[in-house]
Amino acid sequence: MFIQQLINGITVGGVYALIALGYTMVYGILELINFAHGEIYMLGAYLGIIILGFFTAVGLTSYSLPLALILTFVLSTIFCASYGFTIEKVAYKPLRNAPRLSPLISAIGVSIFLQNYVMLTQGATDKVFPHVLENEGFEINGIRVTYIQLFIIAASAVLMIFLHIFITRTRMGKAMRAVAQDKVMASLVGINIDTVISMTFVIGSGLAAVAGLMVAMYYGLVNYSIGYIAGIKAFTAAVLGGIGSIPGAMFGGILLGLVESLSAAYISSEYKDAYAFIILIIVLLIKPTGLFGKSHEEKV
Amino acid sequence: MEKLILFSLVVSALIFSGCQKKEDAIKIGVAGPMTGDQAKMGTDFKNGITLAVEEWNSKGGVLGKKIIALVEDDQHDPKQAVSVANKLVNAGAAGVIGHFNSSCSIPASDVYNRAGIPMITPASTNPQLTEKGYSGVFRVCGRDDQQGKVGAEFVINNLKLKKIAVIHDKTTYGQGLADEFKKFVKKNIDIVYYSGIIQGDKDFKTVLTSIKEKKPELIYFGGIYPEAGLLVKQARELGLDIPFMSGDGTIDPKFIEIAGAKAAEGTYLTFSPDAKKISTAKKFVEDYEKKFEEIGPYSIYAYDATNIMLSAIKEAATTNGKAVIEKLHSMEFGGALGKIKFDKKGDVTVAPYVVWTTKDGKFEEFWKP
Repeated sequence: MFIQQLINGITVGGVYALIALGYTMVYGILELINFAHGEIYMLGAYLGIIILGFFTAVGLTSYSLPLALILTFVLSTIFCASYGFTIEKVAYKPLRNAPRLSPLISAIGVSIFLQNYVMLTQGATDKVFPHVLENEGFEINGIRVTYIQLFIIAASAVLMIFLHIFITRTRMGKAMRAVAQDKVMASLVGINIDTVISMTFVIGSGLAAVAGLMVAMYYGLVNYSIGYIAGIKAFTAAVLGGIGSIPGAMFGGILLGLVESLSAAYISSEYKDAYAFIILIIVLLIKPTGLFGKSHEEKV
Repeated sequence: MEKLILFSLVVSALIFSGCQKKEDAIKIGVAGPMTGDQAKMGTDFKNGITLAVEEWNSKGGVLGKKIIALVEDDQHDPKQAVSVANKLVNAGAAGVIGHFNSSCSIPASDVYNRAGIPMITPASTNPQLTEKGYSGVFRVCGRDDQQGKVGAEFVINNLKLKKIAVIHDKTTYGQGLADEFKKFVKKNIDIVYYSGIIQGDKDFKTVLTSIKEKKPELIYFGGIYPEAGLLVKQARELGLDIPFMSGDGTIDPKFIEIAGAKAAEGTYLTFSPDAKKISTAKKFVEDYEKKFEEIGPYSIYAYDATNIMLSAIKEAATTNGKAVIEKLHSMEFGGALGKIKFDKKGDVTVAPYVVWTTKDGKFEEFWKP
């Protein structure tokens, strides 16, 4: 049963990690906690339901389910990425030179706006995701893994590897790291800061969309407020790993998933949400920058 | 905004002054969630009352006076419920049918008790409501503790199980129901797992994995349909193919939709009997559905509550609160639900719970205690 609990934890952890990446990337570059990030995740889940519903209506789902699913993923990722891009342009860019608190408040405003926008257009009740891969899975030694779980774990791992390669090996990745270190110096050596920032939001939002869609498929239930608690958890994961650090966000997400799962299994399920935050407090007391965080040197 | 407030004040003043002029009318207060996400329940409720009032009026009213229903919206908000209660008392309501939610009925009952008028709730099942010692508080529906008892009897006598798991969602309703159920089963059945989950959470695999390890024969859940649906779905995903049982909070088509018809098959739910299957309710169901839409789960309770209130006023031959309350305690009423009598606390003497099951994606009545 321990292994079963590990699999449960890693599945949830993978999702937390994907969302946490968006928080940590934006923080690394803008030192802004993008509170609207959880809502992008929620939008990803809703768009998945809408797009898949459309494909079912036109008959694509019955023609080829894998094709319909791939297209759903691609389309909702593109939609969410453009949401992320637009949010940055509308709500954060005009405030780039304002005091640090202003973009933070703007982020909270965007979050509230998006929640209400979805509530008013899609209704306040729970939406059910179509049962596409109903309970299917396999069993080894009494440990049951569903295909969706396998898919979530694999997809999170692949996306994180891709992201790592992107950040360390490509020109754009290098530019991102440069902007994260010093915006002014980066612009002096000819890096277009606006493009880099937009790219950060696009990638972060795309990852959140994938996470949202996978969660919608996994649990089959979506409502307008799921982004809030997922956002808080992912933020915790990012802080746990050291905000601003990409490997930290990945590690923090998985760790958070495991802590929740194992503590709920072996201590008590009633305080499941509390354990994650207890771990957070302990880590911050011992290592205030988080597990992978570097202490911040004052820029002169 | 100020203009709006002023306007609504003027309008309400006009309405009330309008009412007060008709001194030959008997006013019955109606309070429930008429707007918002529970508006459907409020409408079912109002329709049942309207039907009863129209039937009485067509027969010449009560004590030679016409009956007027004063409908108020409490938005299932306890604060709003208190202000609505005050409004109804000030408007001179002889009695109140309402409220819908236990969280509203409980604070509103303070107001009605102080004013000395009777209230009959068609739907509030929390035991606390009638435990406050107010003589004028009645309910025609059952209580959560009676519901837990019926569920327990079913599991012990009908399913004859030996090992079960009990979970709840930590709310007043959910934990209350689960605890009552536990209280009645623990003598005969081994409870191998008991714990709470978080309402609004989506991941219950951890809890279910722990439950699977203990090998129970049934899972009992105190809570409402979103979590119940997810629990059933995720249990099947883990290969945990044991029956699932819950209470009236789960009997909603969304439950089957979330869990999936295949996973939800054979779930047991304690709920009030199917109105369409009660012999005495036949005429009511026909009349209601001819006039309005399909009957809701609590329409029949609202209808009977109104008839009971008006019969008591008729027997007391006055709208004086004290006299009406006395009659409510002493009389036995024959309504669409069958015979109803109140005990000292104001609860019905026979708990109207039965066990329903899910079959081919639909709910149907299954077992009577």
